[in-house]
Amino acid sequence: MSTAQGGGIGKYVGIWIGLICIAGIEVFLTYRGLSTHQLLLALFVLAIVEAAIGLAYFMHLKYESGYLVWTLVPFVIFVLLMMNQIWPDAYRLASLRLGTN
Amino acid sequence: MSESHVAVGGHGDFMEPSPFGIQSKKLTMWLFIASDAITFGAVLFGYAYLRVGTADWPTPFHFSPSIVNGMVMTLVLLTSSLTMLGAVEAAKADNKPGAMKWLALTILLGIVFAVLHLREWFHMFGEGWSLFKNPEGGTVLFGASFFSITGLHLMHVISGVIALIVIAIGYNRDWLDKNHVETTGLYWHFVDLVWMFVFPLMYLMNATR
Repeated sequence: MSTAQGGGIGKYVGIWIGLICIAGIEVFLTYRGLSTHQLLLALFVLAIVEAAIGLAYFMHLKYESGYLVWTLVPFVIFVLLMMNQIWPDAYRLASLRLGTN
Repeated sequence: MSESHVAVGGHGDFMEPSPFGIQSKKLTMWLFIASDAITFGAVLFGYAYLRVGTADWPTPFHFSPSIVNGMVMTLVLLTSSLTMLGAVEAAKADNKPGAMKWLALTILLGIVFAVLHLREWFHMFGEGWSLFKNPEGGTVLFGASFFSITGLHLMHVISGVIALIVIAIGYNRDWLDKNHVETTGLYWHFVDLVWMFVFPLMYLMNATR
């Protein structure tokens, strides 16, 4: 049950600034000369951190019932993880194209 | 139980309380958000598949104007989440004028985001990019994935702005309550959350470095 009641937006300003800083770090890393794989990993990790903060504090999931959290979150993560089946075929396509060049 | 009890009191008296401790409309919104997260996950995985499997993937976004525009859009959307929180908190405190003020600001920021997004699109159209065209002569899959994914997100933003306008009118006229404001706020934060993946994966990963 939500317990984040009233009190204005002052308590969220710090989180808002934090999220803007993370977005700034993403842009900074983009121009640091990282390889594509390194950049993808860094951006993806930072995006997950941003999303987790947004879910917990902006969407108040941190204050909701544990039943709700455990009903929603693991299953969404499970479905998203199952989509990782694409990678072998994607790399197979890439290697096929490289083979023809 | 008597029939009159059921008829007068409805079924509510005999039903178990929600194990989630929230109203059904809020639970419905959470279930929608879970399904929509999977939808966006699927299209982003589809984009990743195309990007990894395509040898001549273009990286057309220069720092100015595209990445700068994306940064401003990120700032606008994050700020709109903050103003949405202001609306939810004011509504919880039964401060209707405050809630209306914050809702109006959120709607305005949502419109600014959509305008910036469309400006970026028209800039790209001007350079020759489209769903089926690549002015650089390489694969057309970049345009297809970029306009599809950002278009899906833009559709969510525009839908959110329309929903916020309806909720603001209804809340102001007392035919909707503070729980409707909170539930719509959840949707708006979700739209912001999706952008946290769309911006780095669609813009920064395709930046000219």
